[in-house]
Amino acid sequence: MTRSARLTMSRERLAAWSMVAPALLLTVTFALYPVADSFWLSLHHIFIGLPQLGSQFVGLDNYLALLQDPVARQALLVTLGFVLLSTVLELACGLMIALVIHEQFRGRGLVRAAILIPWAIPTVVASQLWRYIFNDQYGFANLLLFGDRVTDYIPWLAYPTIAFGIVVLADVWKTSSFAALLILAGLQLIPDDLYDAARVDGAGAWQRFRHITLPLLKPALLLALLFRTMDAFRVFDLVFVMTQGGPGDATQVLQFYGYQTLFTEGRIGYGSAVSVAVFLMILALSLIYLRAIGSSLLERKRP
Amino acid sequence: MKRRMLLGLGIFLSVGLSLLPFLWFVLTSFKSQADIESIPPTWWPSGNLGFYRTALFDHRLFDYAFNSLVVAGSTTILALLLAIPAAYALARLTVPGKRGVLAVLLCVSMFPQMAIAGPIWRLLDSMGGLNHRWGVVLPYVALTLPLAIWILASFFKELPPELEDAARIDGCGPWSTLFRITLPLATPGIFTAAILILIYAWNEFFFALLILTQPEQQTLPVGIALFQGEFTMPWGELAAASVVATLPLIVVVLLCQRWIVSGLSAGAVKG
Amino acid sequence: MRRIVRAFFTGSRLQSVPRYPLCASHQRQRGAALLLVCFVLFGPPRNDSIAGKPAVPPKGQPAPVTLRFVSWKPDHPRVWEEALARFTAAHPHISVVRELAPHSSTAYHDLLTQKLKNGDTTVDVFFMDVIWVPEFAAARWARPLDDKFLPTMREAFLPATTEIGRYEQHLYGVPSRIDAGLLYYRRDLLKKYGFTAPATWDALVRQADTILAGERTTVPTLQGYVAQFKQYEGLVCNMLEIIEAHGSSLLTHDGTHSTLSAVPALEAIQFVRNRLIGQITPRAALTYQEPESLALFLQGHAIFHRNWPYAWELANNRTRSTVAGQVGVAPLPGSTPGQTAAALGGWLYGISAASQHPEEAWALIEFLSSEAMQKRFAQEAGIAPSRTALFSDPDLLAHSPQLQNHLTVLQAATPRPRSPIYPALSHLLQRYFSRALAVEDLDLRQEAARTDAQIDRLLALTRPRP
Repeated sequence: MTRSARLTMSRERLAAWSMVAPALLLTVTFALYPVADSFWLSLHHIFIGLPQLGSQFVGLDNYLALLQDPVARQALLVTLGFVLLSTVLELACGLMIALVIHEQFRGRGLVRAAILIPWAIPTVVASQLWRYIFNDQYGFANLLLFGDRVTDYIPWLAYPTIAFGIVVLADVWKTSSFAALLILAGLQLIPDDLYDAARVDGAGAWQRFRHITLPLLKPALLLALLFRTMDAFRVFDLVFVMTQGGPGDATQVLQFYGYQTLFTEGRIGYGSAVSVAVFLMILALSLIYLRAIGSSLLERKRP
Repeated sequence: MKRRMLLGLGIFLSVGLSLLPFLWFVLTSFKSQADIESIPPTWWPSGNLGFYRTALFDHRLFDYAFNSLVVAGSTTILALLLAIPAAYALARLTVPGKRGVLAVLLCVSMFPQMAIAGPIWRLLDSMGGLNHRWGVVLPYVALTLPLAIWILASFFKELPPELEDAARIDGCGPWSTLFRITLPLATPGIFTAAILILIYAWNEFFFALLILTQPEQQTLPVGIALFQGEFTMPWGELAAASVVATLPLIVVVLLCQRWIVSGLSAGAVKG
Repeated sequence: MRRIVRAFFTGSRLQSVPRYPLCASHQRQRGAALLLVCFVLFGPPRNDSIAGKPAVPPKGQPAPVTLRFVSWKPDHPRVWEEALARFTAAHPHISVVRELAPHSSTAYHDLLTQKLKNGDTTVDVFFMDVIWVPEFAAARWARPLDDKFLPTMREAFLPATTEIGRYEQHLYGVPSRIDAGLLYYRRDLLKKYGFTAPATWDALVRQADTILAGERTTVPTLQGYVAQFKQYEGLVCNMLEIIEAHGSSLLTHDGTHSTLSAVPALEAIQFVRNRLIGQITPRAALTYQEPESLALFLQGHAIFHRNWPYAWELANNRTRSTVAGQVGVAPLPGSTPGQTAAALGGWLYGISAASQHPEEAWALIEFLSSEAMQKRFAQEAGIAPSRTALFSDPDLLAHSPQLQNHLTVLQAATPRPRSPIYPALSHLLQRYFSRALAVEDLDLRQEAARTDAQIDRLLALTRPRP
């Protein structure tokens, strides 16, 4: 290598770093450092209402307490149930939507736009919307089902299981189209000649779907699953607006529990332990998914 | 034939289920208080703009909308400014410690807001950013960067490298190559990233709730979540406010549907 | 501005590949343009003039001051506007900016404490729920008022209403409206069936059953009793009242242990579970706070309704209520006839410890809690007074006969546990009560014992350690 070439190299490296550095700096300051700080706080005992306690270093005490906390256990179960149910439903609905908007037809642009609208609606609005639809007196659901037989009206959100179901439903409604877009991307990658060949071989529509579409769609499906799982674990707005965790803690998710302990109760140490625990769970799940997806998402060498 | 019917059914179902719930809110927003409070509820509004009037003027919706615009706009521009060079470098150049950078970005996209909320809050406190719009813009930018970089990087990779090579031989450094050559070609990708960031920032609720506690700075989602009336739930005003908050996004989606779909698709799997 | 944005997006054309220096200068220009855009979008800097530097005052006049007063959205906004207008007319150098927070106590608490934690120096005066006093005092968010709320002034108030603002020898609040749960009922319906206001919960259920049996043929949506059973702060008040009425309490007398497992406390839960919810109370009440339950009563869909004193004014307001003029009010049933078990609630005025204008803030509080203003609030907005003299004011008694009840109810009302960690205690109680009412097959005894243990552990933290 000549000297000038080496010089260009190092200049390029410098430029490369100068390009990455600002983004990295901001990310580290506003995301990585806070997580580290949260972890540090979670090793302390801090109670805003009890300043005389000071901030005492207690090691892993908060985590041990977390393991034995019945409310946290309930919140974990609700969160896991929410993640499982909502991701599965979103993937199913997303796949259906993707198959529809992949077809060629007149007005497809409009249909695609219509489907994207729930995704674009602020979650807070969507939450109020679904809360209103399932209102016990003025709700659309009761009107649709029972018309003017008002004595049959059901107070949906007063039943723990149904309230949980409605939160899931609102999430599915809101985010299925995002899953659909990711799946659509996968569909567009499947070459048409594969289907033509299968048709020549006499394969029916179901067989083509089962043996061509699904297997080739696997990476896209897994990717959608990864995104949706990460988001579902972090559900907060829906619960905050629709149910505040009730009735009977049926919609108490970990994020909301973390919010309550950190910000309403002022238990800084314990609340931090809750949120760090959520982070660790998401991290573990994501690593499993990423392994399943196989190739790294961002890294692809230049051809 | 059967296929066409199935497709028709699919279109009907997905469009219907997507729009119907929100249409109920739209109908509600034009009702009168008597329409809303009757049991059973009425289907059709008697045509009344009163809720829009009270929502806009009594509930400070204009302020909230203005704040949302400022916050979402600034977030989008700042995030793009930072993400474009970073994505370019990660896609095209040799970045020492690239794996580490990627790991950090990936990690950040998994953070639950709660895990960083407390410390961010204290950080902003020491910087004097609480109750300032820029106080939410900074964390929004940090949290949207991974997705933006990811989408942009996959776009940059799709571009033919020959032009850039030519530019470089002509003596352009990486920065100018990026701005003169790559950027104009990557407009679709930038547009997609911009829309996604914009929607995120327009809709974000949690940080806004914590950091902006004065109505003068609060954004639409906070305004709508804390919307409460005196003695009944003000469903009519709430519906009107929700329609107003959502309208800009519907316009964006209608205009940019093509970009969103192609952008996400290109980013998602080809990368 | 749009041009700048478009220039950014489209950039320059590819026709020629220019030399390096040229690239650089263009780039700098574009960077400057972007900074401009960003500046424009970040918007005008926060308007600090509100709390900021006072203009140089003319000689002999006090500097103009703007107070920020945080309150929930009032039921009668006009009355408040008038009151503040009068205040500013009397104090021309002070103007008051009101900041309206949500009506729900929990949401308001989170917002206000977030503000106070944010060290918001612009907050001067705020409404403080009676249960927050220990927390606000311990966290040093509220300013002690011992030097302002002097004994001579305090004498004029009911002792119960000023004592609630005390925490560890210091006073932190001036009573705005201190009140207790009341039982509202449909006088017309009770009269029709020959009943008077029920003195026990059993009697209430019996009366409701009889009336429902007779009336549901004409009004199928009629309910017996509506109250607030959602998982939120109000649930604690509602359940505290019924537990008291069964002869038990939430904590032991010394406040060190939780007593949810005591037999009468369990019976109280069973009573709500088996004889109210799904019977004379709609199951939907598990999602109701004050507004939803009051709306049902105002629309004539309920015989009995539990609420705070403010509901009287609304229930008799002909534009808002279909049952105006037919509403009766009574103390809530107690453990024995003639006794009442009501939760003590209400709001105090407090001054933020970070306020830069404590003197002006105090002037506002003094004005709003003066006898004349309390009388106006009572007449126009149904806010129960806390000054003793007003309870024998003939105008007021003619206008709001329920005030006579109020005095006895208030004196007997039970405060919720007073603790600087009350929000954490309340969450545990809300969880327990909501689960006890909403979950079908629940081992109540086990749930109660578990909650007792959790609360005891929290309470142990507040005791000074050896």
